[in-house]
Amino acid sequence: MTSYLKLAAKNILRHRTRSLLTMLGIAASVGVLFAVLSFNKGFTEGLAVELERTGLHFMIVPSGCAHEVAALVLHGAVIPKFLDTGVMEHVEGTAGIDLATPILVAQLPDQQRGKIDLIYGIEMNVLEAIKPGWEITGTIPRHEHEVLLGYEVAQHDNLQPGDHFSSPAAGVDLIVAGIVGYSGSQDDAFVYLPIQTAQNLLGYPQSATAIGVKVDDPTRIGAITESLTSTVPGIQIVTMGEVMNSVSNLAAAARALSLAIVLIAILISAVGVMNSILMAVFERTQEIGMMRAVGASRWDIFRIILNETTILALVGGVVGIVLSTLGARLIEAFVRSVMPFVPSGDLIRFDPIVALGSVAFIFVIGLCAGIYPAVKASKINPVEAIKG
Amino acid sequence: MIELKHIEKTYRRGVETVRALRGVNLTINAGELMAIVGPSGAGKTTLLHILGCLDQPTNGDVLFDGVNTAGMPESQLVKIRREKIGFVFQQFYLIPGLSVFDNIALPLLFSKKPAQRKKIEQLAEMVGLEHRLNHAPAQLSGGEMQRTAIARGLVNDPAILLADEPTGNLDTENSEKIYAILRRLSNEGLTTIMITHNPELAARAERTVKIRDGLICP
Repeated sequence: MTSYLKLAAKNILRHRTRSLLTMLGIAASVGVLFAVLSFNKGFTEGLAVELERTGLHFMIVPSGCAHEVAALVLHGAVIPKFLDTGVMEHVEGTAGIDLATPILVAQLPDQQRGKIDLIYGIEMNVLEAIKPGWEITGTIPRHEHEVLLGYEVAQHDNLQPGDHFSSPAAGVDLIVAGIVGYSGSQDDAFVYLPIQTAQNLLGYPQSATAIGVKVDDPTRIGAITESLTSTVPGIQIVTMGEVMNSVSNLAAAARALSLAIVLIAILISAVGVMNSILMAVFERTQEIGMMRAVGASRWDIFRIILNETTILALVGGVVGIVLSTLGARLIEAFVRSVMPFVPSGDLIRFDPIVALGSVAFIFVIGLCAGIYPAVKASKINPVEAIKG
Repeated sequence: MIELKHIEKTYRRGVETVRALRGVNLTINAGELMAIVGPSGAGKTTLLHILGCLDQPTNGDVLFDGVNTAGMPESQLVKIRREKIGFVFQQFYLIPGLSVFDNIALPLLFSKKPAQRKKIEQLAEMVGLEHRLNHAPAQLSGGEMQRTAIARGLVNDPAILLADEPTGNLDTENSEKIYAILRRLSNEGLTTIMITHNPELAARAERTVKIRDGLICP
């Protein structure tokens, strides 16, 4: 039995190459739309996970820029200002603080091996509390000459617990006490040192890049930070939420630009659909005249043509999402190579809501692109059409 | 019964005004097989389109069993085309992507009736195409295509079948087959009106109406 859909599908198949090219145009634009939307979603979620993994609620840093703190927290950037660790007394004396630790972050270039070691000095006794998810092979360092290595560092240098870790730039030789299991986050790239070792190694005794704080009750962060800011001069407190906003704001412009480009691509593919269907309508003028003669109303013709555009849009949309999902790794690798900071983990994942949203969007675009050819077809005068 | 009273049709072609029909009076009886003949540009096709409610006269009345279709809105004309009229064209106008079965059933889609397989098979058998139902139009000969078009014109059980040069693209043998089908339909009570340039076919119709310069010749 012929239905409007079957008729529309058969019409599309009459010009396979043209329909395929039109559909591929839609697939490409929807694929990119899906990838960008998935990436944006994955970026926000990945960022939240990454911040959660720090195990801290806020950072105390010297007065300055919140973006510097974000860079410090997320990829070990060096802030060229230091806090006096004497501040720790005030912090630990503040009500509601669960734990606080000075953190000293530095980059040590190792020219012999062509790499940079990211040094992360921290109180070793807080690691279990702030990194409960870590699986450590060996132990957490108990002595000043011991070091804990991130997974990637250990892999890169092929080190095991008990091996020596040396940094020619700093002129030290340390014993690997433990290795952190793979986390898929920035944690894998750090060399964790006891804070005093790091201070001595870097020549900044009594100094810290920041003081990381975990509170008893996260709902009281506001009151605690207010109390600290009013009692300790020269500090700035940045909560993880603020870090997230800060990074998100930095990425927002790139995301907005990419979305704008995608929307332009979709617009171009919609014009392609309109052109393709319009050509098909002009080619089938006599056939449309015949259909009017055998009982098709203007609405019937309108429906057939609109069905053709929506089929093209829907099939193109689904193909685009499948291709985008299959090529997620490639797209992600490209984005990682061009963006300054991208959270670790899989960023482009198949999300049914994003997929459905993308298909729904292209469906609406397909409908809009089909209206003009459909109106044009429905207005064809059957008498003129049959005469040819 | 169909009655045409004082039918005039004028239309513009560029700056020129064409008087295609200049006052046609014609009565067509139910079950009649009528041939319309005349030179090119005489107004035959215009007359057929007005009879088929595809076009409207500029003046005059078109009475289908006493109901005047002249001046009817398009929505009502569509209904009449679906329910009372079947069309057959010289160029067949089959849809290439659809099978013979689906081409025959196409008007049912627009009249919102279910395509009963048995009915389509009966029509195909009547025009000698029962073995071709699953074939594509490209696999058919010209005669077979026109027979498919006739079956399509009959699928809504029309009261009148209008054929615009149904044998115009066919050889003698296939023309004979088409005429035989039209003759048989007429014998079964279907009003059949065909435009033809074939004088032999026209001579075998029950009545031949000759049109020249938009007027029926006496």
